[in-house]
Amino acid sequence: MFKRFIVAGTAACALLGIAGTAHAGKDLDAVKARGNLICGVNTGVAGFAQPDDKGKWTGLDVDVCRATAAAIFGDAEKVKYVPTTAQQRFTALQSGEVDILSRNTTYTLTRDTALGLDFTGINYYDGQGFMVAKKLGVKSAKELNGATVCVQPGTTTELNLADYFRANKMSFKPVVIEKVEEIRAAFYAGRCDVYTTDASGLYSTRAANTPAPLKAEDFIILPEIISKEPLGPAVRQGDNQFADIVRWAFYAMIEAEEAGITSKNVDDMLKSENPGIKRILGVTPGMGKALGVDEKWVYNIVKQVGNYGESFERNVGMGSPLKIERGLNALWTKGGLQYSPPIR
Amino acid sequence: MGKANRLMTALATIAMATAGPIGPAAAGPILDAVKARGSLVCGTGTGTAGYMMPDSQGKWKGLSVDVCRAVAAAIFGDAEKVKYTPLTSQQRFTALQSGEVDMLVGNATWTLTRDSALGLDFTGVYYYDGQSFLVPKTLGVKSARELNGATICVAPGTTTELNLADYFRANKMTFKPVVIEKVDEIRAAFFSGRCDVYTTDASSLAATRAANVPPPRTFDDFMILPEIISKEPLGPVVRHGDNQFADIVRWALYAMVEAEEYGITSRNVDEMLKSENPTIRRILGVTPGMGKALGVDEKWVYAIVKQVGNYGESFERNVGKDSPLKIDRGLNKLWTQGGLQYAPPIR
Repeated sequence: MFKRFIVAGTAACALLGIAGTAHAGKDLDAVKARGNLICGVNTGVAGFAQPDDKGKWTGLDVDVCRATAAAIFGDAEKVKYVPTTAQQRFTALQSGEVDILSRNTTYTLTRDTALGLDFTGINYYDGQGFMVAKKLGVKSAKELNGATVCVQPGTTTELNLADYFRANKMSFKPVVIEKVEEIRAAFYAGRCDVYTTDASGLYSTRAANTPAPLKAEDFIILPEIISKEPLGPAVRQGDNQFADIVRWAFYAMIEAEEAGITSKNVDDMLKSENPGIKRILGVTPGMGKALGVDEKWVYNIVKQVGNYGESFERNVGMGSPLKIERGLNALWTKGGLQYSPPIR
Repeated sequence: MGKANRLMTALATIAMATAGPIGPAAAGPILDAVKARGSLVCGTGTGTAGYMMPDSQGKWKGLSVDVCRAVAAAIFGDAEKVKYTPLTSQQRFTALQSGEVDMLVGNATWTLTRDSALGLDFTGVYYYDGQSFLVPKTLGVKSARELNGATICVAPGTTTELNLADYFRANKMTFKPVVIEKVDEIRAAFFSGRCDVYTTDASSLAATRAANVPPPRTFDDFMILPEIISKEPLGPVVRHGDNQFADIVRWALYAMVEAEEYGITSRNVDEMLKSENPTIRRILGVTPGMGKALGVDEKWVYAIVKQVGNYGESFERNVGKDSPLKIDRGLNKLWTQGGLQYAPPIR
């Protein structure tokens, strides 16, 4: 008897599975019932996710959570942050402890498939770069022939380094050190000419770890990015509507930047005659309904969080201690890779 | 509601809640059907040169078609195991929603409403299209910024007309519109000189230039200006309900892009199997893992590249310099060459 019920239950699941949208909604329903979004973030990385001295979380990754909350609740503050380590992060998402993971996590095939997760976009195109002392007099990685390079032992970083130098017919002397504190000390002590790791890590080191009397301005990060580390928010599979909201909350920040809508001018923009802007801001309704949120969702995101460019500059760019160049994270219209499918 | 019914509902709810978080357990109905059938049913448009068109033997070819071929190569190890279903713009999404086709490569633009309210997912962008301008070379213009005062042929359709007006306004230029509904008539008007410029999506301009220039003038008498003034990202579409199948469609296209980035081509892929580069070994399945994660054979990328080619090969053969269309890579160059084509790493 019980067995038959279970069989019936399984059949019901299979049917719902095929219907797709019928199965959707449980993550979104839980978020709404709870009244806040639970966001898995890093335990603390300057510019990306860090609590300030009042315990308020700020950063580029944090802004993805804030934008999602603004879309769902009309209030970017309705987020509870759960710091996660690299080891815990996927389990926390899979188990439902967090609704969304926005934690400088590289989008890779295995994470996108076998873990039962979906990456909904790329909020920061990171990749391996090179930091040098300005006095080295080098402007490009192509001029690093013969340099001594500090590198952490770790398959990808070391291999990318060797590949890049080989491809450019250059040689280098590796100084391999495991601990990050020791590698920084070695670089700043002049044991190596170059320090290589992901560019975001180099900017962060330059901003926070340059020992006096040396200053951040005495060092530069070279423009070449020699590997792919696309960082993006992830959700677990099983609620397409929630995934769509996370995906488009981020895209809305990019679309707003492209359309010139900022946190400062968004109220004026409500009066724009441009049909694209009217549609984006919900003056012409439709987009909110399609996504299952309030028609003012983009207005709320831009008003409370800002567009992508504002978030970038404030958190990691020229308005922050990190001073990261837009580079690959410039809009597609400005030579970068940030591109949102159209909001229509 | 009887006790038994209530119990059944409760059990069903529990079973679903338990199955949910595991993910792959709930997935699979579309992939299972494809495997049981022995072929992939791919919805295409009714025919667009370079993107999806049957040749004289009835064999479908094109950049969009190659996405279906890559998916079949990943699932079956055989890019030929595809049945093509031509669909009109009106039919295409219904056909996908109803299960008549497994996936769609009908040159549909990825937009918010299609991605959300229709219960569909776009798995990537195989062609970054957008509105551009076709002009006769005799006009002596190299950039859209030099079109001030031009007469422009445009089809009435909110987006195209509006983009045109927006672009000219933003660049402080004026133009005289010639609005014509039917595509044959608009082409005739343009080629007869009723307007200086024809504007629509760049891919259509390339097709018009390749197939519709009336003699004695030829393809070379016309040029497409470099500016792209709107976003029309064209991507493969699947319906919700089978994450594993969606992942295979997503990564089959990414594999073509990744292969190009690593210099793996249909010609050298057998040599590449001997590469010492750990990334290439992982991509080609010499070091196993990626196939298992995706639920396909470890040779999936090998099969795609060997039978379909990498993205660059497919582009040049179908719409690029080796095709009548001669479309410039432009936005569709790899990210390392100034374009937007970027695959997350296969690892």
